[in-house]
This record gives sequence, C-alpha cells and structure tokens, in this order.
Amino acid sequence: MKAYIDYKNVVPKTVIGLMIFLIVLVPVMTSNMATLSMIILSGVWAIAVMGFTLVLRTGQFSMGQAAFMAIGGYTSAVLTFKLSMPFWPSFFLAGIVSGVVALLIGSVVLRVGGTYFSIITLALCEIVRIVAQEWEPVTDGARGLMTSPPPTIALPGFEINFAASPVPYYYFMLVLVAVTSLVFRQIGRSRMGGTFFGIAANPTLAEHQGIRLMKYRVIAFTVAGVFTGFAGSFYAHFLSVISPVMLGLWQSIQIMMMSIVGGVGSLVAGPLIGALLLYAFGIYVSRLPVFNIQYLLFGTVVVLVVIILPKGTGLVDLWDRFWRKVVWREKEFEFEEVEE
Amino acid sequence: MPYLELKNTTKHFGKLAALDDIDLQIEKGETLGIVGPNGSGKTTLINLISGYYRPTRGEIFFQGKKISGLRPDQIAKLGIIRTFQSNVLYEGATVVESMLISSYQQYKTSHWQSFFETKAWKDENEKVVGKVIDLVKLLDLLNDTFLPAEGLSHGYQRMLGIGMAMISNPGLLLLDEPTTGMNHEEAKFVVDKIKKISEQGVTVILIEHNMKVLLDVATRVVVLSFGNKIADGKPEEVMNKQEVIEAYLGTETL
Repeated sequence: MKAYIDYKNVVPKTVIGLMIFLIVLVPVMTSNMATLSMIILSGVWAIAVMGFTLVLRTGQFSMGQAAFMAIGGYTSAVLTFKLSMPFWPSFFLAGIVSGVVALLIGSVVLRVGGTYFSIITLALCEIVRIVAQEWEPVTDGARGLMTSPPPTIALPGFEINFAASPVPYYYFMLVLVAVTSLVFRQIGRSRMGGTFFGIAANPTLAEHQGIRLMKYRVIAFTVAGVFTGFAGSFYAHFLSVISPVMLGLWQSIQIMMMSIVGGVGSLVAGPLIGALLLYAFGIYVSRLPVFNIQYLLFGTVVVLVVIILPKGTGLVDLWDRFWRKVVWREKEFEFEEVEE
Repeated sequence: MPYLELKNTTKHFGKLAALDDIDLQIEKGETLGIVGPNGSGKTTLINLISGYYRPTRGEIFFQGKKISGLRPDQIAKLGIIRTFQSNVLYEGATVVESMLISSYQQYKTSHWQSFFETKAWKDENEKVVGKVIDLVKLLDLLNDTFLPAEGLSHGYQRMLGIGMAMISNPGLLLLDEPTTGMNHEEAKFVVDKIKKISEQGVTVILIEHNMKVLLDVATRVVVLSFGNKIADGKPEEVMNKQEVIEAYLGTETL
C-alpha cells in the first residue's frame, strides 16, 4: 500500500491557487467588455443577495435589499456630485448611512417580525423610490444623479484608471466581494451564526434559553444593510448614473430569487452562484423579442430549481457535489493536479 | 425569603381566568410537583414564571427580586429554565447542534472573539463542547449525537429537551410534563435524572400527570383546579384529600 496522502489538505491548496489565478486573470481572458461588465454587476448583486441571506438566517424575509442599494447609491452620488466630496469617503459613508437606516428601521419593525416585517421592507423599496423622485433639491428627482468614477490611483510603474475601462472596476468588485464573503462566512461559522439559526428555527425556545431575539435580528439586518449599501454605491458609480427607477421592487424580488436559485442555506457560495447565473440569464432573456417574457422565465427558473433540487439547497448543492467528486479524491490515486 | 414567590398571581385571557389569585412560595432545593386536571392552569403557571406571559394581576418574585414583566430571555439569564410540552426542538438541527445553541449562556467570550476565532474562544468552546458531550452521555443520547433531532423517538426528544434545559446551569428548573409519552423504563430514567439534578442543588418544579413519578420525586405537591390552588402539602396527604379526588374524578352523582 502506498502512503496515503491526506487529500483534504494537499489537493485543495493547489486547486484553490489555480482558481485564484484564473479569477484574477478573468479580464485578460474576456476581451468582450460587455461580458466583463456582466460579471462585475453580478458581483454587486451577489453582495446584496448575501445580505438577504444573512437576514434570512435569522428567520426574516427582507424584501428591501434593493432599497438599501438605492440608499447607498444615492448617498455616495449626492456626496460626490452635490457636495463634491472625494470618492472614497463617500463610498465609505454610503455603507454607514445604509447601515444606520437599517438599524433604525430594524429596531422598530423587527419587533413584530414575520410577514409584517416583509411587507414593511417591501414598502421601504417604494418609499425610497418616492423620496428619490420627489426630493428634488437633493436627488434631482426623476432625472437622477450623475456619478463619476473613482479617481485614478497612481501606483509606482502604472496607474489604475477607472475612467478608461471596466477592468479596474473588476478588481475593485473582486476585493469587495472577497471581503464581504469572508465576513459573512465567518459570521456563519461563528457562535453568532449558530444563534441566528436558533432564532430562525424556534424563536420561543431560543428566547427561553437566554437569547435576546431583537438583538440578533437587528444585528443581522444592520450588517446586511451596510454591505448592501456598499454594493449600491459601487453600482451607482459603475453605471455613472443613479435614478429612482433603477432599484425598486422588482430588483428586491430578483435578489430573493437569486438567493433561492443559489441556495438559501448558503451564505456565500449560494449567493455568488445564484447572482451570476440569474443575472447572466436575465441579460440573455432581456434580448428576447417577446414583451415582458423575462418575468415568466425568471419565475419558471425559480420554480424548476425549487422542484428539482432538494429542499433549500439550490444550485450550490450541485457545486458542492462537483467539488467533492472532482477535487477531493478519496481513492488511492497519487496526488493529481485536477483540471476542471 | 422564599426562593420563588407568587403573590396574588392572576392570568386572564379575555374573561377566562386561567389562574385566579394564586399565592405560592417555593424554598430553595425543593422539588415541587404541580398537578391538576387538564385546563387547571399548570402550564399557564410555568408560562408566567418563565416570562412568556405577563400576569394580569399580582407579582412574581425570584430571590426577592420582581421578575413578573421581564422578557423570557431576561428571566432565563437569572437561571430559571423551562422545558416545553410541545414545541421542544430546533427544526433542522442535529442533537449536538441543538445542545450547542442551547448552551448560549455558558459562553463568556464575546461574539467578536468567536468571529476572529481567538485562542480564548477556542479554549472556551472546547470546554463547553466537553460539557455538552457529558450531558449527552448522561442522558443516553450518545448514539444519536449527529442525527437530526426530529428523527428521535418522542421519549428521546423529551430527554433532549431536558438536556437543553440542563446545559444552561439552571438554579430553578421548570419541567412541563417530562414523562409524557414515555414507557415505564424511560419514566424511571427521567425520575433518576431529576433526583440527581435535585441533589446538585437545583430547585425543581415539575408538572406531572404520572402519579408514580410524582410520588417518587416530589417533596411537596400543589394541586390546581380551574385556576385555583386547592391543596398544598406533602404528596401522600394531598393526593388523598377529598377535594383533590373530586377535582380529578368528579363528585358522586348518587
């Protein structure tokens, strides 16, 4: 018998290295800027979906994630465009403001929780849209606000010019997604993640074991708000404009659908898969000549995923199985570089 | 000063008085049995003590401090832990996961330490997991540790419920019909555990329908009927009183 190598430690390192290598080189491989933009935007949505999933972890259905994107987007747009603040502080503040709004609203609405909470978050989308439309002096109303790209960063040897192409945005998004993923993954694995699960699974029992329901529901909602706000700010600056109609009820529903398709149980991988696939699907479908068929097709996809895949798992289940079969070898093969 | 005291405690649901002007004192270390026909207010009493309900009138004191009106999680933090008759489990969790969620109060490290996986957190986690495994062994659930809690038989689910209550180190344990749905052996097992718990100094209040269990384990018995306390004293005396027998069996119709 040959010496058994612990595959769980050896293979993933080389494979992960390979994956990181490929991810970092995506812009080089896609010469088509439209494809790159699509990938960038799915990253933005993935962050919003992660926020939705985190709140779902505590047993609450937030239909207002698009509203927080709008709040984040408008905050940084107003700060940069109207108050001439530099980009990076505005970006940072966008997340903070979004989080504060989530904190304030959550502290009131999460007391009732459940359906009432979902309806109010739904209403929040509309309220944000109306405020953006009517508050002319601040938001320029229905015309929307122009946003400028982040300033060029001069590094020794080369410069990162956001205005020139989407490529710098890709790396910016990559960093954002990586940070969000890490934070959310850690939350999920920590004691707080377990507490979230308990609150969702049986709030009464959890309460009687000393867990203060409101505290954790508000924490989840606020954290989701902060990161979704960052996503919204990025969104606004990438698209060079933000207007009241861009982020509304339909977007909140899409976020929810991305979470379902990716897998509601997964905090990181599920949202990434769901956002990427469903956003790509959406772009493809919007080119079809049949009027408004996208709603029908989206619904069909969601229903199919829910029916075909086991309860709650979504497409991330397929990814998990693939990963386990192809990458984590169980037989006595020698170490083998795995090409996917 | 009594360990737990209920003064004039009343709970109305609309016009219905589930509990009517109850006075009750419980000393530390007692094992108090609460009996009565269905609908007499036993679970309501536990719900009031645990904070799930607010008394319509009257007050509840724990170690001299007023606890009526506090939230359930605040009361749980004082060391008063209860089990449930139904609604016992965390859906979708395995036995060990359920126990770990329930050991919320055992952790002194903050969530930040857990988030960053600091050494202090890891050490504390080891200790808590050790306690959980000990308790799981004690309650004969070791074989099912990684199984979904819903897959357990009814009797074992209740054992798990008791385990989840025990892991928080209660000072006052409220057991709501712990042996319901158990056969003779399982009930004996539970009685044995309750005795052990009591030996460790925990004050126990248990609602029971099973007379054998009650007489074996209770040091004192309180009988409720239609929201009123109709007897309070030593088990053998109380169960032989006329009013108690009438409450359960009805009066003769001759």
